[in-house]
Amino acid sequence: MRLIGGYNIPLEGKPEHGISVMPESDVLYLPLRSRRFTFDELSVKEGQRVNGGDILAKDTDNYGVPLLAPRAGRVRLKARDGHIVLEEVALLEERADMAEEKMEHIEQEMGAAGINRYKLLTLGAWQFFYDAYSGRLPDPLGTPQAIIVSTVSLEPFVVRGDVQLHKRLLNFTRGLEQLQSLLEYQPIYLVMPDIKSNLANLVRDQIRGYAWVKMLEIPLTYPYDDFGILARRLGLKRNKGPVWAVRTEGVLAADRALTMTKPCTVRIISIGGTGVQGPTHIKAVPGYPLEAIRYKYVLEPAARLINGGALTGEAVRDDTLGLDAECRGLTVIPELQEREFLGFARPGWDRSCYVPCYLSSLRKPFRERFTSGLRGEARPCVSCGYCDEVCPAGIMPSLIHKYLYRDLTEEADQARVDLCVECGLCSYVCPSKIDLRKQLIDAKDLIAKEKEEMRQEQLRQEEARKQEEARRQSEEKSE
Amino acid sequence: MKWLLKIVEAVRPTFEEGGKLRTFKPIFEALEHFLFSPSTRTLGAPHVRDPMDLKRFMSMAIISVVPCAFAALYFFGWRFLAMVVVSYAAGLTVEAAFAIVRKEGINEGFFVTGILFPLIMPPNLPLWMVGLGVAFGVLIGKELFGGTGRNVFNPALVGRCFLALAYPKAMSQSYIEPSGDLLGCLLFKWLPSGSGVDAVTVATPLSAAKGGVMASTSHMLLGSISGSAGETSAILIILGGVFLLFTRVANWRTVVSILGSFIILTAALIASGATKVGIDGLCGPVVWHLFAGGLLFGAFFMATDPVTSPTTNPGKWIYGMIIGTVTVLIRNFTGYVEGVTFAILLGNIIAPILDEAIIEVRIRRLRSEG
Repeated sequence: MRLIGGYNIPLEGKPEHGISVMPESDVLYLPLRSRRFTFDELSVKEGQRVNGGDILAKDTDNYGVPLLAPRAGRVRLKARDGHIVLEEVALLEERADMAEEKMEHIEQEMGAAGINRYKLLTLGAWQFFYDAYSGRLPDPLGTPQAIIVSTVSLEPFVVRGDVQLHKRLLNFTRGLEQLQSLLEYQPIYLVMPDIKSNLANLVRDQIRGYAWVKMLEIPLTYPYDDFGILARRLGLKRNKGPVWAVRTEGVLAADRALTMTKPCTVRIISIGGTGVQGPTHIKAVPGYPLEAIRYKYVLEPAARLINGGALTGEAVRDDTLGLDAECRGLTVIPELQEREFLGFARPGWDRSCYVPCYLSSLRKPFRERFTSGLRGEARPCVSCGYCDEVCPAGIMPSLIHKYLYRDLTEEADQARVDLCVECGLCSYVCPSKIDLRKQLIDAKDLIAKEKEEMRQEQLRQEEARKQEEARRQSEEKSE
Repeated sequence: MKWLLKIVEAVRPTFEEGGKLRTFKPIFEALEHFLFSPSTRTLGAPHVRDPMDLKRFMSMAIISVVPCAFAALYFFGWRFLAMVVVSYAAGLTVEAAFAIVRKEGINEGFFVTGILFPLIMPPNLPLWMVGLGVAFGVLIGKELFGGTGRNVFNPALVGRCFLALAYPKAMSQSYIEPSGDLLGCLLFKWLPSGSGVDAVTVATPLSAAKGGVMASTSHMLLGSISGSAGETSAILIILGGVFLLFTRVANWRTVVSILGSFIILTAALIASGATKVGIDGLCGPVVWHLFAGGLLFGAFFMATDPVTSPTTNPGKWIYGMIIGTVTVLIRNFTGYVEGVTFAILLGNIIAPILDEAIIEVRIRRLRSEG
């Protein structure tokens, strides 16, 4: 598949290259929920003292992926709803290594390959892995047909690969080697913005002789870094097994877990967007109080704090107090306050638009000061075709919208709504302000659920048939 | 403009649920949103939105026909302004009535229809016919299909088609001689002849050509010929049309394929001698035919209506070719002198089928994806 569609939204507040380290906090608020995970099984007791790297809770639905204590401290379970609070936080020595005996036990049980996967999972590196097609956590014991490693992050704004790689190139290449040790012969695709750049050459030099790393260059257009798009671009078929996908932070975490057997606790995230004073990257641990970040970077009185980018991130709820374990960036967008007089008729020198309908199209590309305004009234679809044009997955959002409007779920399924990568560009460009992204996601979920139910039903029937047969056979025997 | 917003806020309760004038809520909302951009915020991802909205979208279409409207004013007098006013008044009444019944907002699409319609009318058409035509077009062509976005036919063309069939005589006799003055009708002349009611009926270039009288191509380029109010000046139509293509509100594929197929077919007919034009050579007659009648206006402003044209790009190419070809066929081989209206309406009928076929192919291709 060729790369099609895509668009870089001109949001102001691009994070700078530097990283500023947040001061240590006395209290950490670790949310029990994040985008993919719900840590439902607690492993600690109220008031218990933990060390950095200890497992606080596990997500039983996701292969027991752990929530690690980023620092040493005392656990409070009921202090805040939906959080594990870590008090008396201290930067004591991290848990040095796993107990030798335990290791041996696991090695006996799972073999040498298994031990690496066990380490990845328990040391918090596995949470950085994605299934390229579904975006979910892949099975740590599965065998992928390939691993996609992406150093590119194009959504405004999440942490950028080049910032994470700064001074960590050696760790990165070592991490790539560690990933390779998980595989037999399957390839690793390394996605870079420019495979002739200095950085790419350095990587190539360091991994020389490793024919299993294949470099792939993609243009810096959102959302070409999406793993689903990349997997399709690489021609990896869904029915040939899972494709693991991992970003820069995941490779670094794999290196840390497998080379040094240390937990991955500190994270580099971006803080950007229109509402941020001095957008940059920050280094902080999960659970870091959002209030402290807000206090330092957000000056707008009414601003929306978004966990993730402006296009796919989720607004941080008021009752969420700390950074979650999956956060890759915080985007701050001021809430719409003022209503413009004759807004639609203005020349629009300061408006950066997908189509050249404002005077600003005579200007050089620039970043606009976006607010959370919808910027128009909800209207019926006029088939302008912008969403079809911008869609990177090659499906037709306007068509699917029309099917869904008439409750034609079957047709929406035929039109491959499941290929939607949820990038949000269709909603972004729609002049009728239809929330296509939400409609497509809802349809996707509904169809997946229906298919699952059908599968279950079939299984049940199969089971009943077998039982019936067994009963008959036993009856015949008894006769 | 805070004071105005305060007034809007003050009268809002009257139109809300329980207010005295709640029936007219759509009208209040239309007015409010015309004056002030909405205060709605995004609810979830994506948290920011493109500045483009349907108002701007439609404004672009209106701006692009402003040169033609000025040409109409210049050549055919201030009566044209009255036609615009009547068109908006009649059309908006229908639109508002439906909005009230449906309890939906008034859609901006009508504002384009309202200006396009008088531009494709003969300049001396009785005003009541203008009103009737646009009301018919909006009612039958749009609202009965479910309103903006769901109509199959271009409402302005439905209105024109209705008038052409219901009042053929009035339609054909309302073409008048354009003003020959340097200032045209700009100095508040009601009609170019100045005499008002008894303006002389003249033939449009296409009907005159059937009688062997050829209008000069340069006059057709500038617009000083007889014809529908806005369709005479080729240069201004191209100017506005190119602007519309630049803004990407109209799709260039439709325009290119209509004009391309028209030019190729006309050239072929002239070269083979199947049709005779009173101009020598090949290039001259083709350009003459291109500028004559409503072809350019239809190609740039009517056929490109996104709602009634196909949504897929290949569909747009075929759609354009059908319109271009049918126009040539009607012009040269039927009793009608002008065929653009019928050609585009025919294209509108075929558009959904074209889409269906192309979507079928695309879906088949998508199905093979892993």
